Amino acid sequence: MALTLKEQLSSPGGILKFLVKYNTVFIFILLVIFSALISDVFFTSANITNLLKQVSGIGIISIGMLIVILTGGIDLSVGSLVALLAVTFAILVNLVVLPLAILLTIVIGFSLGSISGYLVAYQKMAPFVATLALMTIARGLGFIYSKGSPVTFKTAGGVFMSDFANNSTLGVPNIAIVFFLIVIAAMVMLRYNVFGRLIIAIGSNEEASRLSGIKVNKYKFLVYAISGALAATAAIIVASRTNLGSPNMGMSWELDAIAAVVIGGASLNGGRGTAINTLMGVLILGLISNILNLLNVPSYPQQVVKGAIIIFAVLLQRFESK
Amino acid sequence: MKNSENDYRLEMTGISKSFGVVSVLKDVNLKVKPGEIHALLGENGAGKSTLIKILSGVHHKDTGTVRLNGQEINPKNTHEGQVLGISVVYQELSLVNDLSVAENVYLHKLGASKFWMNWDKITRDAQELLDSLGFTIDASAKVRDLSIVQKQVVEIAKALSEDTKVLVLDEPTTVFDPTDTKKLFDNLFRLKEKGISIIYISHHLDEIIKIADSVTVLRDGVDTGSMPISETDTDGIIRLMIGRDLKDLFPARNVEIGTEPVFQVKNLTARDTIVHDVSFCVRPGEVLGIAGLGGSGRTETAKLIFGADKKKSGTLILDGKEIKTKSPVDAAAFQIGFVSEDRKEEGVFLPLSIRRNISVTSFKSISGKLGFINVENEYKKVLGLIEKLNIKTPSSEVNVKNLSGGNQQKVALAKWLSIDSKVIFIDEPTRGVDVGAKIEIYNLINEVAKKGVGVVVISSDMPEIMGISDRILVMHQGTIYGELQKDQFTEENILRYSIGKRLKQQTQTI
Ligand SMILES: Nc1ncnc2c1ncn2[C@@H]1O[C@H](COP(=O)(O)OP(=O)(O)OP(=O)(O)O)[C@@H](O)[C@H]1O
Ligand SMILES: [Mg+2]
Repeated sequence: MALTLKEQLSSPGGILKFLVKYNTVFIFILLVIFSALISDVFFTSANITNLLKQVSGIGIISIGMLIVILTGGIDLSVGSLVALLAVTFAILVNLVVLPLAILLTIVIGFSLGSISGYLVAYQKMAPFVATLALMTIARGLGFIYSKGSPVTFKTAGGVFMSDFANNSTLGVPNIAIVFFLIVIAAMVMLRYNVFGRLIIAIGSNEEASRLSGIKVNKYKFLVYAISGALAATAAIIVASRTNLGSPNMGMSWELDAIAAVVIGGASLNGGRGTAINTLMGVLILGLISNILNLLNVPSYPQQVVKGAIIIFAVLLQRFESK
Repeated sequence: MKNSENDYRLEMTGISKSFGVVSVLKDVNLKVKPGEIHALLGENGAGKSTLIKILSGVHHKDTGTVRLNGQEINPKNTHEGQVLGISVVYQELSLVNDLSVAENVYLHKLGASKFWMNWDKITRDAQELLDSLGFTIDASAKVRDLSIVQKQVVEIAKALSEDTKVLVLDEPTTVFDPTDTKKLFDNLFRLKEKGISIIYISHHLDEIIKIADSVTVLRDGVDTGSMPISETDTDGIIRLMIGRDLKDLFPARNVEIGTEPVFQVKNLTARDTIVHDVSFCVRPGEVLGIAGLGGSGRTETAKLIFGADKKKSGTLILDGKEIKTKSPVDAAAFQIGFVSEDRKEEGVFLPLSIRRNISVTSFKSISGKLGFINVENEYKKVLGLIEKLNIKTPSSEVNVKNLSGGNQQKVALAKWLSIDSKVIFIDEPTRGVDVGAKIEIYNLINEVAKKGVGVVVISSDMPEIMGISDRILVMHQGTIYGELQKDQFTEENILRYSIGKRLKQQTQTI
């Protein structure tokens, strides 16, 4: 039964249990405090804005990764999809009106994701294998279409997008707003929407879901398609930030997305994970890079620290499930 | 339409089904009237669950027709089956651990429902439904946190919806104690009065005699006929099931029971469960029964000893020496065995073959010095056990997930009984196992005891625990409430201790 906050805190060992339960939030808060103490640049609006802009792209694909992982799958293709779709968007923006370019990019992302979805749901291919294949295909196609070099925005639509992506509303970067809206949508969907509940059901016990008359394949198909559409959204954002689409974008973002979801406490076996915790995971990863950058730590040691944090976060969750 | 057809709610005629080359059902007929409780019986692997799964749309029949209210139906998947009013409580627990009780109860409706969840409504409705069944379960709890008995209740609640026309229960009471079973029966009688047709599968023949109106018996995928229950009795049913008479369900034992206990437990108290101040001993060669109601702490006691749960205090003494079991690994090193009651989740590897399942616990006895497996020994051992336990399978290479429920149980048991232990705890040894195989399992238990092992059997099956034990401990609210010697074994005595009352004669003397 759900306990109130007060009851939780006053039960024996309550504070510890509480800390462990909301560990991602606490790691996040600790990191913020630590960062603020260690660097006086950290709490400047320029830095926070920069941090939010940096995490938005990966954040959006992390939400797609979350819903795939909730069904017990994985989507390795998202990083390459970002590259291919960024190139696609840059080409489209130069060809057609902006709303159509955005729409087409998202539709193409959805369709590319559908390929993985079809292979996993209907051809019973292992998610790892199906999306690994799509990952190399998408990266290759990105290079083919861009002929290996970035495609720059040349039209008014492009200018509009790059203004949008680099400006803020009420002090919050526009692209971070897009990211937060997607997080909220995912939160609502996973809690109050039938689709969300069913993908949790499938990830938790696929056979039971099938026996309950749920169209398991349809939902498995859809999560990959949605992940593809979210990759398109991320692609539009990152391309707009830099005013171009490059086949080198999104390099190993799929790994960062998986890391964010895992730090957010999701189980790779499916059935467990929330959007808010994934948001925390994204912010934690972003914070680590940010503070290490502020401290002028070179990028290789940064990777070591990132890895250590992942291990630490997951160990903490172990502790929780006991 | 002819009148005679209208008499039946459900008519399955001439049903056949094969999986690959294995023919599982051959020309089977099953006819059920409205408001009838129809028992479907047969040995493990006879094809009962398969027949039901054809009805509900999990499997597809090769030949035959299925009629519901005279109309031919052909459900392609379980969703279609449900829409037609066919609800099934499957033999395998089929709940989603990460969702709430309420969501599980309405999972099938969720699949077909509108966009938004109406949390308040489904939680309220589910709570009402559970309350009306007479069980206390919080509808907003996560299924993960429920006991196995509560899970089964949720499973049953899930199958009950307003439009159920045919309700199928595939071995629903295997995890229930007598009071739970009684509650379920009261509910079934209520549904029956509403005109719902109930198909009831069970290996507890005494249950069948109590509640069923008629029976259909399957043997090796062929139906040996249907009849009103009034025209037969348990012996008659057994004859139809296995084709011969069964003499002694509980084989006689002539085992020397040692005098010095092989294993002793003193004042064992758990950290996280209700188990407290448990003390008892087992002698070599003895079969010690532990009875009690569900939730009385029997399984938890075994888990505690085995190191799967955390202890707070207490001593364990093995062969006169004090031992500590902090984890199952420790326990196994001391040759303490434990066969879990939840064999489906904890006892077998479903995607692996029977051979691999059995040999996994006995690598020591089948491998050489360098750890290479002696394949010949492995096969000898595995095939021997398959034969001894009468595991119904075309070969030892079949994956356990393709076996019938009862045969999976046998594999789990075979796996554990084939290793050498000093004490072994067996939780519900014959859950879901047919009468014929029960005898084989009792024989196997006796054989193990004969080797000088102390065998502790936890069972909710009264005749079973009285039939096989040398001594019975009865647990109540987390501790051992009473001990019964062989001459005191009666259902009444066990029940009195189970609910925390003294025995009749004793009340006078104390
Ligand atoms: N998916 C499958 N693939 C292959 N064989 C199967 C499959 N499902 C069941 N079988 C086989 O069909 C036979 C009948 O199985 P079924 O589960 O119907 O038996 P049952 O009568 O329900 O037995 P129990 O009392 O043990 O539950 C068994 O021999 C089993 O091995
Ligand atoms: Mg069965």
